[in-house]
Amino acid sequence: MTEDHEQIEELLAGYALLALSGEDAGRADRILTEHVPGCARCRRTLAEYRALAGELALAAPPVEPPDTTIAMIHRAMEDVPLAGRRPRRGMLVALAASVVALVAMGGLSLVLGGRLNEAQTQAGTALEIVSAMRSPGAQPVHVEPQGDLPPDSGAVEVSAPDIRRLYLAADAFPDPMPGRAYQLWLGSDGEWTAVDEQFWPNDGVLLREIVVDVARYDAIWITEETIGSVPSEPSTDGRTWQALLPAAA
Amino acid sequence: MREDDQHDLELHRRLSGRDTEAFDELYRRYGRSAYGVALRVTSQEVIAQEVVQDAFLALWRAPEAFDAARGAFRSFFLSLVHHRAVDAVRREERLRKRTERASNLEPATGEDPAEDVVEDAYLRVRRKEVRAALTTLPAEQRNVLDMAYFGGMTQARIAEELGIPLGTVKTRTLAAMRKLRAALREE
Repeated sequence: MTEDHEQIEELLAGYALLALSGEDAGRADRILTEHVPGCARCRRTLAEYRALAGELALAAPPVEPPDTTIAMIHRAMEDVPLAGRRPRRGMLVALAASVVALVAMGGLSLVLGGRLNEAQTQAGTALEIVSAMRSPGAQPVHVEPQGDLPPDSGAVEVSAPDIRRLYLAADAFPDPMPGRAYQLWLGSDGEWTAVDEQFWPNDGVLLREIVVDVARYDAIWITEETIGSVPSEPSTDGRTWQALLPAAA
Repeated sequence: MREDDQHDLELHRRLSGRDTEAFDELYRRYGRSAYGVALRVTSQEVIAQEVVQDAFLALWRAPEAFDAARGAFRSFFLSLVHHRAVDAVRREERLRKRTERASNLEPATGEDPAEDVVEDAYLRVRRKEVRAALTTLPAEQRNVLDMAYFGGMTQARIAEELGIPLGTVKTRTLAAMRKLRAALREE
């Protein structure tokens, strides 16, 4: 870490105000990924500046929203899928019997061994990932960070020919920028489809089960999108991870 | 923690259980503030309404995005609204046209929002605290904060607009944020 704390605080102030661009935005990304998580002082500063950015909204005069607003929200609420729902599960546990070599999955093993007790709500998904990895024909794919993201922020995708599900796992996945969430895309011949709900890592840990027929796609892409948005194509102005998927057997 | 912050936490907890009454109560508490900041940033009623809708829907869709360990719900949610408003402005590329109207953190002369809009007492109090804190900033610091926050401008753009070095914008921003933090720090 070559930045001193004065410089870092300057960046965090601009970051909280959404006012960084270009090289500063890149520096902030690096600091947020590499330094802030391990620095209590910077974590506190960031939390304070984020809170301040929320409070500044009160400087604007309150205005009664148009009467139609809440009605439109209520209508949309009925259509909005819920993020964070417990994934459906069941079929995979039955597939766990056979012993299959685990590919180079050190990071994931660490996650499964060390975090389960403190993330019990993810235990079921973790179990299913292990099961998927052991199933015949399972093909772990490393989803590589693009741009300046640290190499260890990569995720692992696991799928198997007879399992119409896809699993994503990572143990050093950075939080998205404020107001943003991650979106998974699957590509086929250059056409991208947003798959499943937006998601966030939990303290860096990413464990996702997604019901989809992976065989129909040839590439995977994770992007940062505005929370609640339904983008028609992947955004390229945030962090991204990509990988090609192996051809179906 | 203030009593109202605790009430927000309770509403948020119920929201996580898909309680629509809790959602409506949060809308009643924060809808005006949300629309106020969205309108100030976007300057357009239609877009501001979309921003507010999107923000509340995002809250409904993913209440777990709020982490009580990281601060008050109010800050989280209004920050979310502000973020979406800035995104909307930048996306629509209206920034340049709006620059001259990039508003002022202080209310217009004689404007007292509390007189026109009914809102909870604690919000009215906090609003006064925020405004009072802003008045303690030197004009040049308040200006860069204003251009970034309500103008939706990047620091590089502010430097360009004001004809000053980027480093000066950063320094002024940091000084302003430090002063506001000290003034608004809650027990």
